[in-house]
Amino acid sequence: MPPVLGRPPPPSQQLPAQMFTTAAQLLDLTDKKLMVALRDGRKLLGILRSWDQFANLVLQSTKERIFVPPGTTPNQPRGLYADIDRGLFLVRGENVLLLGEIDLDKDDEPPPGYDLADVELVQNLAKQRKQNDKTKEKTKVKLLAKEGFEGENLGEILL
Amino acid sequence: MLPLGLLNAAQGHPMLVELKNGETLNGHLVLCDTWMNLTLREVVQTSPEGDRFVRLPEVYVKGNNIKYLRVPDEIIDLVKEQQSQQGGYRGGRGGQGRGDHGGRGGDRGRGGRGRGGGRGGRGRGS
Repeated sequence: MPPVLGRPPPPSQQLPAQMFTTAAQLLDLTDKKLMVALRDGRKLLGILRSWDQFANLVLQSTKERIFVPPGTTPNQPRGLYADIDRGLFLVRGENVLLLGEIDLDKDDEPPPGYDLADVELVQNLAKQRKQNDKTKEKTKVKLLAKEGFEGENLGEILL
Repeated sequence: MLPLGLLNAAQGHPMLVELKNGETLNGHLVLCDTWMNLTLREVVQTSPEGDRFVRLPEVYVKGNNIKYLRVPDEIIDLVKEQQSQQGGYRGGRGGQGRGDHGGRGGDRGRGGRGRGGGRGGRGRGS
Protein backbone atom coordinates (compact mmCIF):
# COMPACT_ATOMS: atom_id res chain seq x y z
CA MET A 1 0.00 0.00 0.00
CA PRO A 2 1.42 3.47 -0.84
CA PRO A 3 1.92 5.78 2.14
CA VAL A 4 -1.09 7.97 2.93
CA LEU A 5 -0.45 11.66 2.04
CA GLY A 6 3.13 10.68 1.29
CA ARG A 7 4.06 10.77 4.96
CA PRO A 8 6.90 8.46 5.93
CA PRO A 9 6.20 5.99 8.74
CA PRO A 10 7.03 7.42 12.19
CA PRO A 11 10.52 6.62 13.42
CA SER A 12 10.72 3.63 15.76
CA GLN A 13 10.24 4.61 19.40
CA GLN A 14 11.75 1.34 20.58
CA LEU A 15 14.65 1.16 22.95
CA PRO A 16 17.25 -1.49 22.18
CA ALA A 17 16.07 -4.85 23.50
CA GLN A 18 18.82 -4.96 26.13
CA MET A 19 18.26 -1.45 27.46
CA PHE A 20 16.51 -1.46 30.82
CA THR A 21 15.90 1.42 33.10
CA THR A 22 15.14 -0.41 36.36
CA ALA A 23 16.72 -3.10 38.47
CA ALA A 24 17.34 -5.12 35.32
CA GLN A 25 20.10 -2.67 34.40
CA LEU A 26 22.15 -4.59 36.91
CA LEU A 27 22.18 -7.44 34.41
CA ASP A 28 24.95 -5.73 32.46
CA LEU A 29 26.96 -5.12 35.63
CA THR A 30 26.94 -8.70 36.91
CA ASP A 31 30.44 -10.13 37.43
CA LYS A 32 31.93 -6.67 36.91
CA LYS A 33 33.92 -4.66 39.43
CA LEU A 34 31.74 -1.91 40.85
CA MET A 35 31.89 1.04 43.17
CA VAL A 36 28.85 1.13 45.40
CA ALA A 37 28.09 4.23 47.45
CA LEU A 38 25.88 3.61 50.47
CA ARG A 39 23.50 6.14 51.94
CA ASP A 40 25.70 6.48 55.01
CA GLY A 41 28.56 7.76 52.83
CA ARG A 42 30.58 4.57 52.63
CA LYS A 43 32.17 3.54 49.34
CA LEU A 44 32.49 -0.16 48.61
CA LEU A 45 34.52 -1.59 45.73
CA GLY A 46 33.77 -5.19 44.81
CA ILE A 47 32.67 -7.67 42.19
CA LEU A 48 28.90 -7.90 41.75
CA ARG A 49 27.97 -11.58 41.87
CA SER A 50 24.23 -11.50 42.41
CA TRP A 51 21.27 -9.17 42.87
CA ASP A 52 17.48 -9.21 43.01
CA GLN A 53 14.51 -6.97 42.32
CA PHE A 54 15.18 -4.86 45.43
CA ALA A 55 18.75 -4.20 44.31
CA ASN A 56 20.01 -6.30 47.20
CA LEU A 57 23.60 -6.92 46.11
CA VAL A 58 26.16 -9.63 46.70
CA LEU A 59 29.67 -8.21 46.41
CA GLN A 60 32.76 -10.42 46.44
CA SER A 61 36.31 -9.41 47.42
CA THR A 62 34.94 -6.12 48.66
CA LYS A 63 37.18 -3.27 49.74
CA GLU A 64 35.97 -0.25 51.63
CA ARG A 65 37.68 2.91 50.40
CA ILE A 66 37.86 5.87 52.77
CA PHE A 67 38.68 9.34 51.54
CA VAL A 68 39.97 12.45 53.21
CA PRO A 69 39.50 15.48 50.96
CA PRO A 70 42.30 18.02 50.55
CA GLY A 71 42.39 20.73 53.20
CA THR A 72 41.17 18.50 56.00
CA THR A 73 44.40 19.14 57.86
CA PRO A 74 46.24 22.44 57.40
CA ASN A 75 48.91 22.27 54.67
CA GLN A 76 47.36 19.34 52.86
CA PRO A 77 46.97 20.23 49.18
CA ARG A 78 46.07 16.70 48.06
CA GLY A 79 43.44 14.29 49.26
CA LEU A 80 44.22 10.95 50.87
CA TYR A 81 42.58 7.57 50.56
CA ALA A 82 42.99 4.05 51.90
CA ASP A 83 41.46 0.64 51.20
CA ILE A 84 40.33 -1.89 53.79
CA ASP A 85 39.59 -5.51 52.83
CA ARG A 86 36.05 -6.47 53.80
CA GLY A 87 35.41 -9.73 51.95
CA LEU A 88 31.93 -10.96 51.04
CA PHE A 89 29.10 -8.46 51.37
CA LEU A 90 25.34 -8.67 51.13
CA VAL A 91 24.04 -5.11 50.88
CA ARG A 92 20.35 -4.48 51.46
CA GLY A 93 19.08 -2.58 48.41
CA GLU A 94 17.46 0.30 50.31
CA ASN A 95 20.85 1.48 51.48
CA VAL A 96 22.40 1.80 48.04
CA LEU A 97 22.81 5.39 46.90
CA LEU A 98 24.47 4.72 43.56
CA LEU A 99 26.71 2.22 41.85
CA GLY A 100 28.82 2.11 38.74
CA GLU A 101 31.29 -0.04 36.89
CA ILE A 102 34.99 0.59 37.46
CA ASP A 103 37.21 1.12 34.43
CA LEU A 104 39.81 -1.60 35.01
CA ASP A 105 42.36 0.29 32.92
CA LYS A 106 42.27 3.15 35.38
CA ASP A 107 41.77 1.02 38.48
CA ASP A 108 45.49 0.72 39.22
CA GLU A 109 46.01 4.47 39.36
CA PRO A 110 44.93 6.47 42.38
CA PRO A 111 41.89 8.71 41.89
CA PRO A 112 42.95 12.12 40.51
CA GLY A 113 43.98 14.51 43.26
CA TYR A 114 44.23 11.73 45.83
CA ASP A 115 47.20 9.73 47.17
CA LEU A 116 47.24 6.33 48.82
CA ALA A 117 48.03 6.66 52.52
CA ASP A 118 48.26 4.56 55.64
CA VAL A 119 44.93 3.03 56.63
CA GLU A 120 45.06 4.12 60.25
CA LEU A 121 46.04 7.66 59.38
CA VAL A 122 43.18 8.03 56.92
CA GLN A 123 40.74 6.39 59.32
CA ASN A 124 41.68 8.81 62.08
CA LEU A 125 41.46 11.85 59.82
CA ALA A 126 38.10 10.71 58.47
CA LYS A 127 36.83 10.25 62.02
CA GLN A 128 37.99 13.72 63.01
CA ARG A 129 36.34 15.21 59.97
CA LYS A 130 33.08 13.46 60.72
CA GLN A 131 33.19 14.73 64.28
CA ASN A 132 33.84 18.28 63.04
CA ASP A 133 30.98 18.11 60.57
CA LYS A 134 28.70 16.88 63.31
CA THR A 135 29.47 19.79 65.64
CA LYS A 136 29.13 22.25 62.75
CA GLU A 137 25.75 20.80 61.85
CA LYS A 138 24.65 21.01 65.47
CA THR A 139 25.49 24.70 65.76
CA LYS A 140 23.76 25.35 62.46
CA VAL A 141 20.60 23.62 63.61
CA LYS A 142 20.75 25.57 66.89
CA LEU A 143 21.10 28.90 65.08
CA LEU A 144 18.24 28.02 62.74
CA ALA A 145 16.10 27.02 65.69
CA LYS A 146 16.69 30.43 67.25
CA GLU A 147 15.28 32.03 64.09
CA GLY A 148 12.26 29.78 64.32
CA PHE A 149 13.30 27.21 61.72
CA GLU A 150 13.13 23.56 62.36
CA GLY A 151 16.20 21.63 61.19
CA GLU A 152 15.53 19.31 58.30
CA ASN A 153 18.40 16.92 58.74
CA LEU A 154 18.42 16.15 62.41
CA GLY A 155 19.46 12.60 61.60
CA GLU A 156 22.65 11.49 59.91
CA ILE A 157 24.11 13.84 57.37
CA LEU A 158 24.62 12.40 53.91
CA LEU A 159 28.21 12.62 52.77
CA MET B 1 21.79 -17.52 42.91
CA LEU B 2 19.90 -14.65 44.51
CA PRO B 3 21.19 -12.67 47.52
CA LEU B 4 18.62 -14.25 49.81
CA GLY B 5 19.76 -17.68 48.62
CA LEU B 6 23.20 -16.82 49.86
CA LEU B 7 21.75 -15.77 53.19
CA ASN B 8 19.94 -19.09 53.44
CA ALA B 9 23.17 -20.94 52.73
CA ALA B 10 24.86 -18.94 55.48
CA GLN B 11 22.59 -20.39 58.18
CA GLY B 12 24.64 -21.73 61.06
CA HIS B 13 27.63 -19.60 60.12
CA PRO B 14 29.05 -16.55 61.86
CA MET B 15 28.32 -13.15 60.32
CA LEU B 16 28.37 -9.44 60.95
CA VAL B 17 25.16 -7.48 60.55
CA GLU B 18 25.22 -3.71 60.42
CA LEU B 19 21.93 -1.97 61.10
CA LYS B 20 20.82 1.30 59.58
CA ASN B 21 21.49 3.10 62.87
CA GLY B 22 25.14 2.02 62.69
CA GLU B 23 24.98 -0.66 65.37
CA THR B 24 26.68 -3.92 64.48
CA LEU B 25 25.75 -7.42 65.56
CA ASN B 26 28.29 -10.25 65.48
CA GLY B 27 26.83 -13.71 65.83
CA HIS B 28 25.84 -17.03 64.30
CA LEU B 29 22.85 -16.98 61.98
CA VAL B 30 20.14 -19.34 63.14
CA LEU B 31 17.22 -18.54 60.85
CA CYS B 32 16.26 -16.08 58.14
CA ASP B 33 13.23 -15.51 55.94
CA THR B 34 12.34 -13.82 52.67
CA TRP B 35 12.01 -10.43 54.41
CA MET B 36 15.60 -10.72 55.62
CA ASN B 37 14.35 -11.02 59.21
CA LEU B 38 17.06 -12.83 61.16
CA THR B 39 17.62 -14.68 64.38
CA LEU B 40 21.18 -14.77 65.66
CA ARG B 41 22.79 -16.64 68.57
CA GLU B 42 25.74 -15.68 70.76
CA VAL B 43 25.70 -12.06 69.67
CA VAL B 44 28.02 -9.19 70.46
CA GLN B 45 26.23 -5.91 69.85
CA THR B 46 28.43 -2.88 69.17
CA SER B 47 27.34 0.75 69.41
CA PRO B 48 27.55 2.97 66.29
CA GLU B 49 30.69 4.64 67.65
CA GLY B 50 32.25 1.25 68.29
CA ASP B 51 32.91 2.02 71.92
CA ARG B 52 30.29 -0.01 73.76
CA PHE B 53 29.75 -3.78 73.57
CA VAL B 54 26.90 -5.93 74.81
CA ARG B 55 26.74 -9.73 74.79
CA LEU B 56 23.35 -11.20 74.02
CA PRO B 57 22.46 -14.90 73.91
CA GLU B 58 19.86 -14.51 71.17
CA VAL B 59 18.73 -11.66 68.92
CA TYR B 60 15.86 -11.19 66.49
CA VAL B 61 16.45 -8.56 63.78
CA LYS B 62 13.60 -7.26 61.70
CA GLY B 63 14.89 -7.21 58.13
CA ASN B 64 14.05 -3.59 57.36
CA ASN B 65 16.61 -2.37 59.91
CA ILE B 66 19.53 -3.99 58.14
CA LYS B 67 22.10 -1.96 56.21
CA TYR B 68 24.34 -4.83 55.14
CA LEU B 69 25.63 -8.24 56.14
CA ARG B 70 29.21 -9.46 55.99
CA VAL B 71 29.46 -13.19 55.59
CA PRO B 72 32.50 -15.50 55.48
CA ASP B 73 34.03 -15.95 52.02
CA GLU B 74 33.50 -19.72 52.17
CA ILE B 75 29.76 -19.30 51.89
CA ILE B 76 29.99 -18.65 48.19
CA ASP B 77 31.66 -22.05 47.66
CA LEU B 78 29.01 -23.59 49.87
CA VAL B 79 26.26 -22.17 47.72
CA LYS B 80 27.92 -23.53 44.61
CA GLU B 81 28.00 -27.00 46.17
CA GLN B 82 24.38 -26.84 47.26
CA GLN B 83 23.41 -25.74 43.80
CA SER B 84 25.16 -28.57 42.03
CA GLN B 85 23.70 -31.08 44.51
CA GLN B 86 20.12 -30.01 43.89
CA GLY B 87 21.22 -29.73 40.26
CA GLY B 88 18.40 -30.16 37.77
CA TYR B 89 15.60 -28.49 39.68
CA ARG B 90 17.49 -25.37 40.62
CA GLY B 91 18.92 -25.12 37.16
CA GLY B 92 15.45 -25.11 35.71
CA ARG B 93 14.54 -22.18 37.86
CA GLY B 94 17.23 -20.10 36.28
CA GLY B 95 20.43 -21.44 37.79
CA GLN B 96 22.90 -18.64 38.29
CA GLY B 97 20.23 -16.09 38.95
CA ARG B 98 21.47 -14.18 36.01
CA GLY B 99 19.94 -16.73 33.73
CA ASP B 100 16.69 -16.07 35.48
CA HIS B 101 16.70 -12.37 34.73
CA GLY B 102 18.20 -12.83 31.32
CA GLY B 103 15.22 -14.96 30.40
CA ARG B 104 12.84 -12.28 31.49
CA GLY B 105 14.73 -9.67 29.55
CA GLY B 106 14.57 -11.71 26.39
CA ASP B 107 10.85 -12.07 26.80
CA ARG B 108 10.38 -8.34 27.09
CA GLY B 109 12.47 -7.66 24.05
CA ARG B 110 10.34 -9.97 22.01
CA GLY B 111 7.16 -8.39 23.25
CA GLY B 112 8.47 -4.98 22.38
CA ARG B 113 9.19 -5.84 18.83
CA GLY B 114 5.50 -6.12 18.16
CA ARG B 115 2.94 -8.66 17.26
CA GLY B 116 5.50 -11.11 15.92
CA GLY B 117 6.02 -14.68 17.02
CA GLY B 118 6.56 -14.43 20.76
CA ARG B 119 3.08 -13.34 21.66
CA GLY B 120 1.61 -16.42 20.09
CA GLY B 121 2.55 -18.31 23.21
CA ARG B 122 0.21 -16.26 25.32
CA GLY B 123 -2.69 -16.78 22.99
CA ARG B 124 -2.30 -20.49 23.21
CA GLY B 125 -2.19 -20.27 26.98
CA SER B 126 -5.46 -18.46 27.47
